[in-house]
Amino acid sequence: MLDVLAGALIYSNLLALLAVGLSLALLTCRVSNFAHGDLAMVGVYAAYTFSVVAGVTPYASIPVAFAAGGLVSLLAYLVVFEPLRGRADLVTLMVVSMAIDMVIRYSLHVYADLMQQWLKVYTRLFMFNDFLVEVAGAQVPGVLIASAVSTVALLLSLYMLLYKTKLGAAMRAAIEDPNLAQTLGINVKRVFAVSWFLAGALAATAGVFLPFRVMVNPDTGWSMLLSMFAAVTVGGIGSIGGSVAGAYLIGISETVLSYQLAGLGVSTAYRPLLTFAAIICTLLVSPRGLSGLWSGKGWWIRRRF
Amino acid sequence: MELVYGELGLPDFAKAAFFAIGAFAVGALTTRLGAALLGIAWEGEFKLRSYYYATLVSAKVAASPLLGLTLFLVPLAVAVPLAMFLGVIASYPALRLREDYLAITLIAFSEIVRVIARNYEPLVGGTFGAGVVDVFAWLRSPLRELSMMLLSATFAAGAWLLEYRLSTSPFGRLLRAIRDDEVAAAAYGKDVARARAWAMALGSGMAAAAGVLYAFYMGSVNPDDFTVSRTFLVVLMVTVGGRGNPKGPLLGAAVYLAFDRTVLFAKRLLPVPFDVNYLSYIVLGALLVLFVMRKPGGLAPERPPLTVNQKEVEETIGKRSNPERA
Repeated sequence: MLDVLAGALIYSNLLALLAVGLSLALLTCRVSNFAHGDLAMVGVYAAYTFSVVAGVTPYASIPVAFAAGGLVSLLAYLVVFEPLRGRADLVTLMVVSMAIDMVIRYSLHVYADLMQQWLKVYTRLFMFNDFLVEVAGAQVPGVLIASAVSTVALLLSLYMLLYKTKLGAAMRAAIEDPNLAQTLGINVKRVFAVSWFLAGALAATAGVFLPFRVMVNPDTGWSMLLSMFAAVTVGGIGSIGGSVAGAYLIGISETVLSYQLAGLGVSTAYRPLLTFAAIICTLLVSPRGLSGLWSGKGWWIRRRF
Repeated sequence: MELVYGELGLPDFAKAAFFAIGAFAVGALTTRLGAALLGIAWEGEFKLRSYYYATLVSAKVAASPLLGLTLFLVPLAVAVPLAMFLGVIASYPALRLREDYLAITLIAFSEIVRVIARNYEPLVGGTFGAGVVDVFAWLRSPLRELSMMLLSATFAAGAWLLEYRLSTSPFGRLLRAIRDDEVAAAAYGKDVARARAWAMALGSGMAAAAGVLYAFYMGSVNPDDFTVSRTFLVVLMVTVGGRGNPKGPLLGAAVYLAFDRTVLFAKRLLPVPFDVNYLSYIVLGALLVLFVMRKPGGLAPERPPLTVNQKEVEETIGKRSNPERA
């Protein structure tokens, strides 16, 4: 059971970082970014490559992953989403993001093949080697500590950026009302570019922790999309804080519930059903999600849709 | 053979042409449904035995055309209404909300169906897939392929006709109005949710029919054949071909098929160190993005469809402006 909880926490940490990035994409360009999962994979492969080439543990490659994910995301924004912002309708944007996902994902496949040939390592269904840490007498997987620390640190930094800096204020203003922000002299494009970079960077960092627990290949990001969207929906679309809360809710319930149900004889393959049910329930009962609960207080960024 | 395969793409998104939402998961979901029902209706046992039974029944069909006909019609009659029903149910929670929430919900739903089908063995044999009876076994070889092609061409034509008539009807106008400005349409007293439900139902039904045909063409049904990627391909066909124009999906399907076959041939010619399939997907994705950015209307952009007969209009206007004309 302890292991299940550990897994749940790790998973939730990842989801939180991913959901925040997804939220940012949603808030800035109103796009349900289907390519977001792949950014995590970009992080994985970047970290893997670096750690193989430089001979260091993947943990040390996190900055590389951070940069790589950020750059890819930034590129997607500059080339595709910024020109389409405000011009294309929501579904088109979503379809475009799916196309981008195909481009990124299959490029990763190509890269995986090439990397396998050049660097002579397995690049599909591989795992990173982890180490165990003694905490209060129990053996805890290193990735739990690492992911928890990273998640907290990154989210805290994001909060500080958004609320304590001028850039952050500009970001919030641009998200709330791009046109008004522009008239006030805020360079909306530049500010959104920063958001997209961060979204990708967070996703990539989250990705680095994945291979410590499960075997990954380029499609893993895509398969996590449902959970990411669930996290954002449950948390409240248009609220970053909500996405974080939603991520933990979904992450923990997914892992713990499917564990319990497995005890009852239900196959774990039915796990997506839980996520789906969560989305449906939220949309039916409280479409504003968790953030609807604290909406009057204006804690985090919200966007008028 | 191209036509048979293209037929699969065709009816699915006929509705998508209108409804900006693109009848997303409807594609994957209901196609699978159509195919699944085929599997269920006629196989006694799945997994290892389904192919065996399929061959057995096929042998019987070779003897009796009537059996073949029934085997084709019954699943169709079951699949289509079921798909329509499911399509509406799946979208109900989000029908009143934004389009992309609906899309996400539908995609999730289709994945759920796929997961269930994959893991709940009695349904379609899990990962083994289910064998499908060859309903044309009573025809000999060249005639067989030909009649399959004719059948799917008929379906395609029928779907297209339906689509065209709907697009020029008041219902079509309503859908376009909703797409253009939902709030305005609602302000005029149109029941938006209901219209969406209908569009969804129709699209699902068409997709189911396509699924049935596809199952017969393929000869077996495997849940993993119907993933979100397939839905995406369908959406690609619509977007590239042109939404809002009945000719659009036709063009789009043609383009995609041409591309697909070309890749199949060209594969051997390109000596690259990685799988060329990957490259083809990358190109497809890039193609879609390019189209959306450069030519958002697609190859066949929307024209205001004539909902009234042109001649009548001219006559009426002519009469009004020239009172002397009888």
